[in-house]
Amino acid sequence: MTGRDVYIRSAASALPGEPVDNATLARRFGMDALWEQWVDVFIGTASRHLALDLESGKVTGTLADLAAEAGHAALVAAGVGPEEVDAVVLGTATPDQLMPATVNIVADRLGINGVRTFQLQSGCSGAVQALDVARQFLLSGGGRTVLVLGGDVIARFYDVERDLRTAAPAELVNYVLFGDAAGAAVLSTRPAPGSAVVHELFTRLVGLGREPGAVLEWFGPADRDSDRPAATEDYKAIEQHVPEMTEQVLTELLDSRGWRPEDVDVLLPPQLSGRMTKLITERLGLPGAQDVTCVDRAGNCGNAIVFLQLERALGGALGPGRRAVGISVESSKWIKAGFALEGC
Amino acid sequence: MKTVEDFVVLLHDELALSVTVEDLGRSLDSVESWDSVHLLTLCTLLERETGRSLSLADVLEAPSLEAVYRMAVAP
Repeated sequence: MTGRDVYIRSAASALPGEPVDNATLARRFGMDALWEQWVDVFIGTASRHLALDLESGKVTGTLADLAAEAGHAALVAAGVGPEEVDAVVLGTATPDQLMPATVNIVADRLGINGVRTFQLQSGCSGAVQALDVARQFLLSGGGRTVLVLGGDVIARFYDVERDLRTAAPAELVNYVLFGDAAGAAVLSTRPAPGSAVVHELFTRLVGLGREPGAVLEWFGPADRDSDRPAATEDYKAIEQHVPEMTEQVLTELLDSRGWRPEDVDVLLPPQLSGRMTKLITERLGLPGAQDVTCVDRAGNCGNAIVFLQLERALGGALGPGRRAVGISVESSKWIKAGFALEGC
Repeated sequence: MKTVEDFVVLLHDELALSVTVEDLGRSLDSVESWDSVHLLTLCTLLERETGRSLSLADVLEAPSLEAVYRMAVAP
């Protein structure tokens, strides 16, 4: 370690198409007003963006499209050219292809070459894992600037012919929880106005002996006719464990910084669903914290969502000297992640 | 679905809920594994079976499965 600081210079996002509201989803899947009311009350997510033509069921965009758009915007916002990028890291659960790695397609689109690139197979904490890799690289003195990307396109998991009235609960919830997006951030060893210094950042696997809380399958010619659902979620385990894990991450961040709850100006809470995030934020009870939440409008965008929150925080709530904590919990095999920032 | 026994069969077959007619009056909180997703699935099934719409606001007031059943079949 060099003792140097790492700064988030910029953050940006890319969302496909217009927001898809619950009424539109209800109409497409032949569900009625009661279903729509249920989504409003129990999920609390009003809309999401999908790289999908809902009428035809055809996928309309790729992760590379969205990540390149977000990456370009983040580089422009940071005033950094592609030739100044020393490494690229992408976190995703849904790469466009297993090979080539999507990170390398995105680098090509952005004109980045001759540098280290990494792609993490990751879930809802993937953004923080990607930031972790980038930060460790910068702290080690390996370079001065890293482009960090995260995103997911779950559109291919939508079966528009599915009769949701017969879908098992673990499958049903996926149709309303998630959205497609990519996000990006530029990390640097050099500060700039409007950036934030990363005081703490950690990710920790806590899945020993625990069943996965969320599963995404992939299929090939030998098993593409398998009956197993492509996406399932143990929402009860998530409802039970994520709030307490969030509290644990917050406590760890505050203890490591020596901050009191009232010292936190900005909170980036886990983005499960509009309702769950609201409940978790209320439970944390940080008295002076302005919360930065996107899930109620953008859906849970997996590896992208932390970048959406960072973009908003850097653009408003996180001014000079303002302190922020971000918390992310991954339920797939259970990962706790968090970070503490301070505006420059 | 014409009788309360039909309702119990529906709960068993479609929601995998092992309840008897006697259990229907119990508080929903005490029904094992009951949650909001089950509530949605049940309401959707009842609408299909009865051909009538249910109001989520009304269903949320129901204290028991029996009350949900009565709401669905009320004249």
